[in-house]
Amino acid sequence: MNTKTNTRQLASSATTEKMIAIEKMNKWYGDFHVLKDIDLTVHRGERFVICGPSGSGKSTLIRCINALEEHQEGDIIVDGIKLGKNLKNIDHIRTEVGMVFQNFNLFPHLTILENLTLGPVWVRKMAKAKAVETAMMYLERVKIPEQAHKYPGQLSGGQQQRVAIARSLSMNPKIMLFDEPTSALDPEMIKEVLDVMVELAETGMTMIVVTHEMGFARTIADEVIFMDAGDIVERNNPEDFFSNPEHERTQQFLNQIL
Amino acid sequence: MAIVTLEKTTARPAPLSETTALGWLRINLFSSVFNTVLTVISLYVVYLTVSSVFTWGYLDATFIADNRRECYKNSLTGACWAGIINWFNNMFYGRYPDAETWGVNSAAVILILWMAPLWMSRVRGKILIAVSVVVFYPFLAGYLFAGGAKSLLMNIMVTGAIVAFALNLLNTLAGLFTDTSIKEALIKVLGQSTAAEGTQRKVLFALLVLCFAVVFTLQSNWLVTEVSWTRWGGLFLTFVISGIAMALSLPLGIVLALGRRSELPAVRVLSTGFIEIFRSVPLITVLFMATTMFPLFMPDGFFLNNLVQVIIAVTLFNACYMAEIVRAGLQAIPKGQFEGAHTIGLGYWGTMGLIIMPQALKHMIPNIVGNLIGLLKDTTLVSIIGLFDVLGMLRSISKDVPWLGLHKEPLVFGGLLFFVICFSMSKYSRHLEFKLSAGSRR
Amino acid sequence: MSNESGDRTRSDEFSFFQDQRVRSGFYQVLAVAVVGWLVWYLISNTAHNLEARGMSTGFDFMQVSAGFDIEFKLLEYAPGVGTYADVFKIGVLNTLLISFFAIILSTVLGFFIGVLRLSNNWLVSKVSLAFVEVFRNVPLLIQIVFWYIGVFSLMPAVKKTLDLSFGAERLLLNNRGLYMAWPVPAEGFWMTVLAFGVAIVAALLIRHRALKRQAASGEQSNVLLLSLALLIILPLSVFFATGSPLAWDIPVLEGFNFVGGATVAPAFLALLASLSIYHAAQIAEAVRAGILSVNVGQGEAAKSIGLKPGRVMSLVVIPQAMPSIVPPLISNWMNLVKNSSLAIAVGYPDIVSLFMQTSLNQVGHAVEIVGLTMVFYMLVSLIISALLNIYNKRVQLVER
Repeated sequence: MNTKTNTRQLASSATTEKMIAIEKMNKWYGDFHVLKDIDLTVHRGERFVICGPSGSGKSTLIRCINALEEHQEGDIIVDGIKLGKNLKNIDHIRTEVGMVFQNFNLFPHLTILENLTLGPVWVRKMAKAKAVETAMMYLERVKIPEQAHKYPGQLSGGQQQRVAIARSLSMNPKIMLFDEPTSALDPEMIKEVLDVMVELAETGMTMIVVTHEMGFARTIADEVIFMDAGDIVERNNPEDFFSNPEHERTQQFLNQIL
Repeated sequence: MAIVTLEKTTARPAPLSETTALGWLRINLFSSVFNTVLTVISLYVVYLTVSSVFTWGYLDATFIADNRRECYKNSLTGACWAGIINWFNNMFYGRYPDAETWGVNSAAVILILWMAPLWMSRVRGKILIAVSVVVFYPFLAGYLFAGGAKSLLMNIMVTGAIVAFALNLLNTLAGLFTDTSIKEALIKVLGQSTAAEGTQRKVLFALLVLCFAVVFTLQSNWLVTEVSWTRWGGLFLTFVISGIAMALSLPLGIVLALGRRSELPAVRVLSTGFIEIFRSVPLITVLFMATTMFPLFMPDGFFLNNLVQVIIAVTLFNACYMAEIVRAGLQAIPKGQFEGAHTIGLGYWGTMGLIIMPQALKHMIPNIVGNLIGLLKDTTLVSIIGLFDVLGMLRSISKDVPWLGLHKEPLVFGGLLFFVICFSMSKYSRHLEFKLSAGSRR
Repeated sequence: MSNESGDRTRSDEFSFFQDQRVRSGFYQVLAVAVVGWLVWYLISNTAHNLEARGMSTGFDFMQVSAGFDIEFKLLEYAPGVGTYADVFKIGVLNTLLISFFAIILSTVLGFFIGVLRLSNNWLVSKVSLAFVEVFRNVPLLIQIVFWYIGVFSLMPAVKKTLDLSFGAERLLLNNRGLYMAWPVPAEGFWMTVLAFGVAIVAALLIRHRALKRQAASGEQSNVLLLSLALLIILPLSVFFATGSPLAWDIPVLEGFNFVGGATVAPAFLALLASLSIYHAAQIAEAVRAGILSVNVGQGEAAKSIGLKPGRVMSLVVIPQAMPSIVPPLISNWMNLVKNSSLAIAVGYPDIVSLFMQTSLNQVGHAVEIVGLTMVFYMLVSLIISALLNIYNKRVQLVER
C-alpha cells in the first residue's frame, strides 16, 4: 500500500435516500461502446470508490453523472432530477454536483479566492462579502487560507488540488465526484490531498471517487467497484473486495497494482 | 578508493579571447576565411547604402526653399525636404482648417491620458477604464472632429465622456498616490467609510448623477465649429479609419469566431462562409465593392458618404482576420477550463465571458497588435479610391504647382513615418509576447 | 423523501424551451432567418435601385466589344474588337503572370535572407535583420509606388538606354521598360528540346542507380557533376550539330523607341520588385522560425554521428523544418496573389485595374463585375489552400 492514510475505517453514514440512480445506462463514442448497461444506485452519505484499468470507462461514468458527457441510452437521475436534453436540469445538476479533476482545472487568470467565489457570486447570486466569507471558511478546511490572494500558478500541485476541492465545496454541493484526483501529483503531495478527502468523508458527504489509492479506498469506501471494458465487473465492501476478490479480472488487476 | 577534493576551486577570469572587443570580433566576424569574406561583403553593402542615403538625404539635401526650382539651384543630387516641410501640416491633418486643428490634437491627448492608466500597475479598475474608452471616447472625439450642433444623444454621450474622463483621471491619481480606487478614495473623503454598503452605493450614485447634471448643463453651450469630413485627411484620417475599424472589428471578430466554433451547424456554416469569403479576396476589391455596390444596397433616399463606406468595408474585412486570431486564442485554452466552468454551474455565456475570453484575450494581445500594424499599413489603400489619407496627401505634393514632380521625397518620408510607427509597435508586441510566455512558465 | 417523482414532473413542465434540441434549432432558425432577411433586403434594394436608374443586369455585356486599349497583354486584343470577356481573360492572365514570377523570386530571396539571418556572422545576421524589418514595416503600396516612380521611371531616357548585357545589346533598360532579345526557334529546334528531355531522364536514371548502389553496397558516388555535364553537353552538341536552329529577335531603336524582342513595362518591373522584396521579408521570417523550431539537439545529434555540416542541414534540419516553413510560405503566396491587386496604383493592367476599375467605369454592371472578380480570387485561394491541405496530409502521413 503506497500511502498511509488513516487506517481506521470510517463508519458508514449512508441513509436510504437515493442521490444517484443509474438505470441501464449505455454510452458510445462513435462505434465504441464505452459503458454497457450500467446500473448503480448511490444513497445519501454513501462513499463509492471506482477502480479499474485505463480505458475501462470509470472516468466516463462519473463524467456522465455531471453531464460533461452525454449518454445515449438509459436513465441517470441525480437528486431526483433526470438528466437528458433539458438544459435547465443540466445546469441545476451541475450546481448540485461538485467535481474534482485530475488536472485541477483551476482558472489561472483568477486568484485562489476569486476561483472560489466565482460560482457562488455568478451562479448562486450570493453577495460578494458573504461569498468571500464562505470561501475563506473552505480554504481553512483544506488548510491553505494563507494562499487566498495568490494565483494558481504559484501553488504546488497538492495545494492546487486542495483549492480545487474547496472550489467545488464552495458551491455547497450534495454530491462530490473525484476523477483520479491524485494521479497528476508527486508522491509527497498525495497524502495532503487524501487527508482532506478523508475529512470530507467524515462530514457525511456523498462521494464517488475514481482512484487507484487502495489504502484510501479501504479507509473510506462503503463499497468498491471494479470496472473493466465498460462493465461493472465486481462490487463489494472494501474488506471482502481486497481480501477476497471473486472475479478473475479483479484478482489480476489487484495483483498488478498492489 | 574515493578521490576527494577538499579545497574549492576558485573562479578565474576568462581568457582574453572570450571577453575583449578583439576577441568578440574574431569569434563573430572573422572566425574563418569564408566568414571574413562575408563580413567584407556586408561591410561594403552597408557602406554603400548608408553613404548614398546619407549624402542624398542629408549632405546634399535642401531643407529650406519655396519651390522645387530653388531646391535644384541648391543641389541637383540631393533630396528636397523643403516640400515636405511646407506640407507638414497637410500631411498630418489633410485639409482640416488650421484654426480647428486644436480639436484633433486635444482628442489625441485625451485618448493618451485616458488609456495610459491601463499600463500603470497601481491603478485599479482597468476593465472599467477600457470599457469607458470604447463606449464614450468615440463620441467625444467624433464631436471634436466634426463639430456642429449636438443632438440629444450627442449631448448625453459627450457629457458621459467628460464625466468618465474626469473620473478616470481622479482614479489614476488615487491609484498612484494612495493605492486605492476612486470609489474608496471618495468614500474616505466623504467620511462614509463606516457606513453600510448600501448607503455607500447610494451616496456614490447621487454624486455621479450630480456630476452628470452639472457637466450636462455646462457643456450644452459648448459648440465646436463644424468641419466637413471631406476636409479630413492625412495621418489623422489614417488613424480615424484604422482606429474605428479596429475598435469595431474586435467585437465583431469575437462574434464571428464564436460562431465558427459553435455547435450549431447553421451558425457555424454562416460564420465560416463569411470569414472565408472576406479572407480570400484582396482589400482593394472590398473597397471597390463598398464604393460601387453599397449605394445600390441602400434603400431610397439613404446615402452613406465615402468615408463611412470605407470604414464599413475595412471593418468587415478586418473582422474576419480578427476572427481567426480569436479562434486561435480560443483553441489555445485547454478543454479542462470549459469543464471546470461547467462543474461550478456556469452556462455558455458565463463560461465564455468569465473564464475563457479573459484568458484567451491575454494570449491574443500580441497577435492583435500585429493585426493593428497590418491594418494601419492597409489603410493606405484608401488613397486609391480617392480619400486623402497620409499617402494620398503625400502623393498630392507632386501635383502642387511649386513642388510639381516631387515624388521621391514624400514617399521616402511616408515610408519612414510608417516604419517608425509600425516598428515600435511590433517591438512592443514582441516584448509583450516574451512577457506573457515568461508569465506562463511561472 | 419522496420528491423524486415530484421533481421529475416539475422539470418536465418547463422543459419545452429548455430542451437542448428545441433551443439549438431555435437559434439556428433565428440565425438563418436574420441572415436570409438581410440578404433579401440588400438584393431587393439593389434590384429596386437598378430599375430606378434604368440599369440592366446580366452577363450580356461580356460579349460587347471594349473600346479601350490595353498596354500589356498575353492575348490577341484590339480596342473595339476584343470583348469584355477578353478583357477579363487578359486581366486574369496578367495577375497570374506577375504573381507567378513574384512568387518564385520572393521564395528564393526569402530563403536566402532567412538563412543569412541565422548566420553566425554577426554583421551578416544584422544586415539581413535590417532588410527584413525595413521592408516589413513600410506599407506595400508605398513600396510599389516608390519602385515605380522613384526607380524605374527615373531610368535613363531612350537615347541613353542602359545596356545590361555589357555592349551586346541583348538586355536594355530605360524609362520605358526592359527590352530583351527573344529567342525564335527555327526548324529543327525540336531536336535540341528532345535532347534536353533525354538528358533529364538520363540524369534521373543515373541518380536512381547511384542511390540503389549506395543502398546495396554503401558505396557513395558523386553523380552531381556527371548529371550536370550530361544536361549541358548533350543538348548543346545536338544544337550545334543541327546547325544552331535558333534566331534572336533583337530590340532595335526605331525612331523614339525600341522595337522587337520582348518588352517589360516599368509598372511590371516595379510590381515585381516590390512584391518580391516585401514578401521575401515575410518568407525570410518564416524560414528562420522554421529552422529555429527544430530542436538544437537534432543538429547536435547529427553532428555527433559524424555528419558534415552540409549533410546535417540537408538530411536532418531542413526536412524537420519544412513542415513548419511550408504552411506560412503557402499563405504568403496567397497574400502575394491578393497583393498583386495593388497593381492598380501603377497602372499595370491586372484583373482589378482592368476589370474592376476600367471596365466598371465604362459599362457599369457593378454587381456582376465585382462578383466575377471576387470569384476569381476565391478560386485562386481555394486552389492554394487545397495545395496546403495536400501538403499537410502528406506531412501527417510521414509523421505517423
